[in-house]
Amino acid sequence: MPSLNLDPAGLPILAGLWHLDGATARHDAVAWGYAKGATQRGVELHQLTEVTGVDIEAGRVTGVQTNRGKVSCGCVVQAVSGLSAEVSRMAGFQLPIVAYPLQAMVTQPVKPFLDPHVSSSALHCYVHQTSRGEIVIGGGSDPYPLYGTRSTLELKEGLIASAVEMFPFMSEMRLMRQWAGITDMTSDYSPIMGLSPVENYYLDAGWGTWGFKATPICGVTMAEVVASGGKVPDLIAPFSLDRFDAFRQVNEMGATAASH
Amino acid sequence: MKILTCPLNGPRNIAEFTYGGQVKPMPNPTEATDQEWAHYVFYGDNHIGVVREWWMHTPSSYWFIVERHNQTDEVMRTYDPAELFDPGASPATEPVEADS
Ligand SMILES: Cc1cc2nc3c(=O)[nH]c(=O)nc-3n(C[C@H](O)[C@H](O)[C@H](O)COP(=O)(O)OP(=O)(O)OC[C@H]3O[C@@H](n4cnc5c(N)ncnc54)[C@H](O)[C@@H]3O)c2cc1C
Repeated sequence: MPSLNLDPAGLPILAGLWHLDGATARHDAVAWGYAKGATQRGVELHQLTEVTGVDIEAGRVTGVQTNRGKVSCGCVVQAVSGLSAEVSRMAGFQLPIVAYPLQAMVTQPVKPFLDPHVSSSALHCYVHQTSRGEIVIGGGSDPYPLYGTRSTLELKEGLIASAVEMFPFMSEMRLMRQWAGITDMTSDYSPIMGLSPVENYYLDAGWGTWGFKATPICGVTMAEVVASGGKVPDLIAPFSLDRFDAFRQVNEMGATAASH
Repeated sequence: MKILTCPLNGPRNIAEFTYGGQVKPMPNPTEATDQEWAHYVFYGDNHIGVVREWWMHTPSSYWFIVERHNQTDEVMRTYDPAELFDPGASPATEPVEADS
């Protein structure tokens, strides 16, 4: 790793973990790829259509209200990430989910110098270079909950300080963009998948800061839940909503959520 | 920098504070069922609007209450917990009325 500082912030790098099958992907291209593939297979996507209410009769969902009218349905899969707690309220139940912003930023483009994605768990910062030459810098969540996507100076200062520790030459670079997304955090950093208190209303929520990489398997597995009329596959049984009532949290934070 | 006003120390940089979760009524630990306790620990009203929260001024370890809009991040009011909790009463029996 040519330009990496091996003694960042007085925490010398003694060893590294090389994740052989790790990779990065263009998230927007993946989302549009899925949209294209789904619509070719007959799925209707309604953009700019916001669910504003959920119709429930005798414990079963019969339709959703939207800003463009009512849609009747045989079942619902709720997968609205940061707004999970808000939308579940419309269906009449609470979720153990809190919304936290997660911020990231991009520098001006430079010639290729960095192929792998480099992440420091000590500094809680990751750096990688995109195919356009920009450097993406990201790290931990905001320190307190918010349903807003503003960027803060504090997060930028903290992350840039860490990124410059890792790659000192970056102090010469300029930031080009910054953004934030609202992440749906659970207390065990694991998702909530499967059934809900409403009979035919299924959940895929609580993915928090690491749901992108799980998208393909989530899609297949939630499709199985729908097709079987609510039979929960073994794969996602540990992620049921009722695990919290039984203090059966999933012990995953170190493995997946803290650093990626 | 965002400034938060500590009732004890005055206006301070937000980086000096630690968020401590929503203020919610605690069930009596000796009488609550496991499920009631789980609900208290894991669930909260994460609705968009004005929320009442615990915050600590970290250098002085002083805990206080903040009323904040959780979408605009506007702070309405900060005050000492004595306004909500009777310091002499058992915390288990002190219900807190949520307003929004
Ligand atoms: C800065 C940042 C960096 C991240 N980095 C990574 C990473 O490196 N690796 C990783 O795996 N994950 C990462 N994540 C997390 C990942 O992006 C999310 O977990 C993932 O996108 C969640 O997918 P989803 O399908 O559950 O929700 P989303 O992709 O957020 O989709 C939810 C959809 O629901 C819609 N919606 C909301 N409310 C309503 C309503 N009322 N009516 C109709 N539609 C509604 C929204 O418009 C949105 O389109 C990152 C997130 C952020 C913000």
